[in-house]
Amino acid sequence: MSTPAIRIDNLTKDFPVGMRGLKLRAVDGLNLEVQDNEIFGLLGPNGSGKSTTIKIILGLLEASTGNCEIYGQPSHTVTARRSVGFLPEAPYFYRYLSGRELVRFYARVCGVPRAHIAEQVDSVIDLVGMSESAHRRVGTYSKGMLQRIGLAQALVHDPKLVILDEPTAGVDPLGSAAIADIIRELKRRGKTIVLSSHLLAQIEGLCDRVAILHRGKLVRSGTVSELVEADNAESLVVEGLSPEGRKAVEAAITAQGGRLARVEKPKLSLDALFLEEVQKQERSRSADKEVSS
Amino acid sequence: MSSVANSVQCIRLIAGNTFLEAVRQKFFNSLLILSVALVGSSKFFQQFDFGTGELKFITDFGFGALFFFGSILAVTATTQLFFNEMENRTALTILAKPVHKLEFLAGKFLGSWLLMAVFVAVLTLVLSGILYWRETILMGRLGDEFADGRLVHYGDILLFGVLQWIKFGIICATTLFVASFSHTNLYTMSVSFFVLVICQLQYIARDAYASMESGAGRYLVQGLGLIFPNFQLFNIGDQLVFNVEQPFPMSTALQIAGYGLVYIVVFILLAQLNFRRREI
Repeated sequence: MSTPAIRIDNLTKDFPVGMRGLKLRAVDGLNLEVQDNEIFGLLGPNGSGKSTTIKIILGLLEASTGNCEIYGQPSHTVTARRSVGFLPEAPYFYRYLSGRELVRFYARVCGVPRAHIAEQVDSVIDLVGMSESAHRRVGTYSKGMLQRIGLAQALVHDPKLVILDEPTAGVDPLGSAAIADIIRELKRRGKTIVLSSHLLAQIEGLCDRVAILHRGKLVRSGTVSELVEADNAESLVVEGLSPEGRKAVEAAITAQGGRLARVEKPKLSLDALFLEEVQKQERSRSADKEVSS
Repeated sequence: MSSVANSVQCIRLIAGNTFLEAVRQKFFNSLLILSVALVGSSKFFQQFDFGTGELKFITDFGFGALFFFGSILAVTATTQLFFNEMENRTALTILAKPVHKLEFLAGKFLGSWLLMAVFVAVLTLVLSGILYWRETILMGRLGDEFADGRLVHYGDILLFGVLQWIKFGIICATTLFVASFSHTNLYTMSVSFFVLVICQLQYIARDAYASMESGAGRYLVQGLGLIFPNFQLFNIGDQLVFNVEQPFPMSTALQIAGYGLVYIVVFILLAQLNFRRREI
């Protein structure tokens, strides 16, 4: 079996509170493994220890007890961070740099060889769809653009593991969908992605596996389908069934010892509906433009 | 690329960015303009002159302005540049890269110190210009007194500027050390200015332990004298510029510079010890 991208063993983090030696436990005996080339979702309410865990993985915080490894190397070492790209929540960058200068700056900080910098910078800017705005100053970017350029700086040194903290926070559904597409593309390119998000619908559609944290403890973990599927029920989605046909199906279910629990119409999620409508409008607008030109 | 070359590149990039951010700050530009204006207009403050010659007065006034405004700038700029990175969380993005915390601190320090170099260079240049202008006028007016040539040693002004720059380096490093464990701008600035005053008046403690009998008190004062750098060593303005008979020995200047550099390195390493445990 290949080395896991992240291995966390019995990780605990206490923060001192006040002068009396009191401690606040942010992460409590956490055990977790993230396999190579999977999209892993870290879920949990505010204060559940997601960000603290991410900071320990990135070596920004020292664990009180326990171990954390990235591809077999202790996560607090600089060597381990060579294979990690990170996009913080609500990223803020040097506003006076242009998008391209910013990504170039981080490429140089990461030690990307001088001969490859230009190519690498262009490639990640293209991947995140910022080629047209890369010359603009970061201070003029919208939230969605900031997230995208943040993704570009996280990817510029071609890391094997990408950690995204709330990558779609404050971004409109179109921007979120674009970021989700980039994440899928990253997986296709062989990267491992860890993301924390409050947007459960998005996590559900994206992640291979998820872990739910609460008060610093791991509550559940597994594949999305393992966690959300009901073990003792199945649903059939049927189209064009007449009332007589439906009665016959119900009778057949009863005859086979089953019980029809409920009948409902399959629903499109609001996210999907929104995207479908906006994309429909965009398509018809570009078609109109083509006709008029 | 070797790890040393990587480190140097990293520090250089962070320092360059810090410097760029600093020169874009209104505070730096305002303070620079104010200092230049003050030094430039020093001739008009001669009514506060207590019997010294015009050139000596301008020199003392310029050196005073350099120290006063330079100290303010060193503390405020270093504090501001450090906490900007923390509060805007740009430090988070940089430290999540393969960057040592010491490299980050060294970059921040060098950025601030580079800013001080610009400040010192501009002020030294303006002061030299004013002195040269006034000296030329005085030479025309009082030719006899300048029979041996110019009175002002302009090289000494440069030497004074370099030593002040090293002193500002100590102030920047001390401020960075305070910032490494502090959580607010205000606390950092207050403590750093307090330390600056202690360093400036440290000679009093040195005089005290020199006259003390040996014992715990003497060791305590001696210890304090070692912890806080003695800024009086850098105040050599009186021995420079007009001292024709005995030029200031270069070996002494180098010793003072070395003394300052040791304190800079020590304070940055102490800052690193705190910063390692700090939550980013």
